[in-house]
Amino acid sequence: MFLELTEEQKLIQDTARVFARAELEPVAATLDQSDDRTPMLANLKRLAELGFMGLNVRDTYGGAEAGVIAFSVAMTEIARACASTAVTVSVNNMACEVIQAIGSEEQKRAYIPKICSGEFAAASFALTETCAGSDPSGMVTTATDDGDAWVLNGSKIFITSAPYAGVFVVWAVTNKEAPKGKGISCFLVEGGTSGLLVGKEERKMGQHASATNELVFDNCRIPKSALMGKLNDGFRTAVAELAGGRIGIGSLGLGVGLAAMDHATRYVTERSQFGQKISSFQAIQWKIADSYTELEAARLLLMNAAFRKEQGKPFSKEASMAKMFATEAANRACYQALQMLGGYGYTRDFPLERYARDVRVTSIYEGTNEIQRVIIAREILRNFA
Amino acid sequence: MKLLVCIKQVPDMESRFRPNSQGIWFDENDLAWRMNEYDEYAVEQAVQLREQVGDSAELTVLSIGPDRVVEAIKKSLAMGCDRAVHIRDDHAATKDPWQIASIIAAYAKGQGFDLIFTGMQSQDRGSAQVGVTLAEELGYACATTLVGFAYGDGTVTAKRELEGGIKGVVKLATPALVTCQLGLNVPRYPTLPNIMKAKKKEIEVIAVADLLTEQPLTATTSFHPPARKGGGVVLEGDVGVLVEQLVGILKDKTAVLR
Amino acid sequence: MKTLLIGEYREGKLLDTTYELFGFARQLGAETAMLLVGSASQLPACSGPLYLADASQCGEYSPDLHKQLILDAVQKENPDYIVFIHSSYGWDLAPRVATRLKAAQVSEVIGLSNNAFEVGCCNAKMRRTVKPATGKAVITIQAGAFPVLQPGGTPQVQTVTATAAGNLTFVGYEPAEAKDVDLAKAEVIVTAGRGVGKKENVPVIQALAKALGGELGASRPVVDAGWVEHSHQVGTTGQSVSPKLYIACGVSGAIQHLAGMKKSDFIVAINKDKDAPIGEIADVLVVADVLQFVPALTAKVSA
Repeated sequence: MFLELTEEQKLIQDTARVFARAELEPVAATLDQSDDRTPMLANLKRLAELGFMGLNVRDTYGGAEAGVIAFSVAMTEIARACASTAVTVSVNNMACEVIQAIGSEEQKRAYIPKICSGEFAAASFALTETCAGSDPSGMVTTATDDGDAWVLNGSKIFITSAPYAGVFVVWAVTNKEAPKGKGISCFLVEGGTSGLLVGKEERKMGQHASATNELVFDNCRIPKSALMGKLNDGFRTAVAELAGGRIGIGSLGLGVGLAAMDHATRYVTERSQFGQKISSFQAIQWKIADSYTELEAARLLLMNAAFRKEQGKPFSKEASMAKMFATEAANRACYQALQMLGGYGYTRDFPLERYARDVRVTSIYEGTNEIQRVIIAREILRNFA
Repeated sequence: MKLLVCIKQVPDMESRFRPNSQGIWFDENDLAWRMNEYDEYAVEQAVQLREQVGDSAELTVLSIGPDRVVEAIKKSLAMGCDRAVHIRDDHAATKDPWQIASIIAAYAKGQGFDLIFTGMQSQDRGSAQVGVTLAEELGYACATTLVGFAYGDGTVTAKRELEGGIKGVVKLATPALVTCQLGLNVPRYPTLPNIMKAKKKEIEVIAVADLLTEQPLTATTSFHPPARKGGGVVLEGDVGVLVEQLVGILKDKTAVLR
Repeated sequence: MKTLLIGEYREGKLLDTTYELFGFARQLGAETAMLLVGSASQLPACSGPLYLADASQCGEYSPDLHKQLILDAVQKENPDYIVFIHSSYGWDLAPRVATRLKAAQVSEVIGLSNNAFEVGCCNAKMRRTVKPATGKAVITIQAGAFPVLQPGGTPQVQTVTATAAGNLTFVGYEPAEAKDVDLAKAEVIVTAGRGVGKKENVPVIQALAKALGGELGASRPVVDAGWVEHSHQVGTTGQSVSPKLYIACGVSGAIQHLAGMKKSDFIVAINKDKDAPIGEIADVLVVADVLQFVPALTAKVSA
């Protein structure tokens, strides 16, 4: 048992930290308040050039081959500075990984290098529909075989990065008669394809710089070669791949929670009331002790899940545990941190209110934490049945 | 063309420093380590020159210290150095600048380096001696505090930063050594693929005992925090008197007024 | 005890920092001799031996030659300490001399303590006490750390020269570039707070900043009111700064502001309110009306 990052992992963590501090943090508050995403898109391009879009992707396709632990620690460092940038990076990495896992050689060569290099500003996953959220197999978007093409019809919601994504991984029903989840296939749709419309953008509580849009397919014709993986088998294989994304989101949550607690802890060592630093009050010390302990536990769960994935061991239960625990610990930490700043924490002069808004969605997206519990319980009960 | 860049790993300067048990240096426990900032400018400039000259150049990075310094070495390799020399020394922190320079000189002598880059000083010790002393020991031309660098036809044109923003321009014939200052360049971030590929580059390990022959010329007898500021002074009264009092204090306590 | 002080001369002028060397020698209680590569028309006001080399002949920056001049003077004077200012001239030359003499060097000394020297380390957060282990030692002293001392008198000038073949050629000087506001690099910041009253009073603060060779800073209310541009704002929503001297004029000390400037080396607050929170972190709190006190201070500093 060796609980220490390798030198390469430390260097990647350090590079992410230094870049995030120098480039992401200074614009994070502005991005939160403004509709202009130009600075974030510029930073995404630079992150791509540094290799942050394909951490666990093979060199052949332009990836860094740095592994899952490196991905996790990098996500945490990026999220410490800007959660919106971090979620985009996480989704891009997962897009690369899914294509690498189930795409054809042509598909891999066509798309992964463009995501890794930043030629595509982002990549998107299009799974969720208005009536198919936690139960995605209930989707109704269809892909019809029209001889030389597939024709997509329907709509998706909550699609991260949709306005600037170069490619979308889209799930659609290819066999309506099949039992639930057995007639869904996975497709790669390029941004700008005729019939693919980027709909209204959601007005969210936080993570404002990351666009979240509706996506409409109106007789959207894509080539036959756009099918990824086996026909009618897209749901099982691709959704299994998504477990990796949970490591990303858990790591992201951890980063926001640490940023909040670090800020608040510095603050309480400077703020005086009743003639003494408020860090000398036990009420504050308990918040520090509780939050950092929970965040440390979250980090260890994430490292364990990442390690298992990297070693090729089953990791879906561990990824769900880590995602669930880390994002909930991070939510608690952000609220405790905000409380430690008192009234100041509620103002925009300090980043705590932004952290608290940004972290909120981490227990919702990439599978709600209720669904994570379903997965965890199912995995455990299977061993008792 | 043979190039050498010398780097030091130092603690993150945001750290809280506590004296070690001997009271002569800081306690190394719980510190995060980084490449010395000035050395990053040195590595970047060396890598830029390596790229300018092309494959006929070989750039070696050298560091002295315990095994933890390999992380800084690997960063340099990921930034573009070709190979590395790790002079392994678990007690590097107790050696004075004269010994450190002499160790490097013992390694570099006879290797035929055309150009050596160092930072202008370390962030932790801050003596600003090792580079110049090394040049002197090797008999190399030397310019310090570079904020500008150009190379062509065996000649370095360097801009030195002088006080008040003035620059002094000098030309040096190789072999030469330059020490690098903030503002010389913007060090690149190592890319992730390069961090992974740097694993394959050679790191030659040499025991410090094989190179060290010199005794220290200085001794550190104490490492301590600055005397604590007594609470602030409150001045009240007639404006004319207050001005005199304040100017007196500023002359005494700051370098700003003379 | 004897010191050989190495004077500084640049662009045709004897530099004032030269007199700090005498301040150091006085604290050490040492006799002084000086070596200066300068001009006979600008001799320092001191007594004792002065080895004078002509800068028009020996160059203002010619390290190999200057090193030789110093080594020659060391041989004649046999000093205990050879003392430089820790400047672009001193830190460049001192290790060359120390190496030739195989003498200990102590860099950037800020104080004395019982035959040893205090130096800063770890970005000035900590101190070391350093003792030379050799009979002769080379010292560089931090600019501003020792008092300026003009001993007066007339030096006993000995004109010296040397030749040295070096592989370095001095080409010339480049003037400093005109710069935009960069508070992070400013050594002195004088900040206007709400206590300046109105926009028309800002030039009063600016004048003090200029007199001290520093930059104008501003607190957030002053920027929000449009009295000063945002690029001057200090604090969590502006810039974090750590100058050598920070003078807060009419700044109450909201925690957002304090977070941006509390790392300054020396903090002066000028405020009518003795209980203003800025007083908690100020080294000196001057209880006065900004508009009366600041112009008087500016006049004194400019005089």
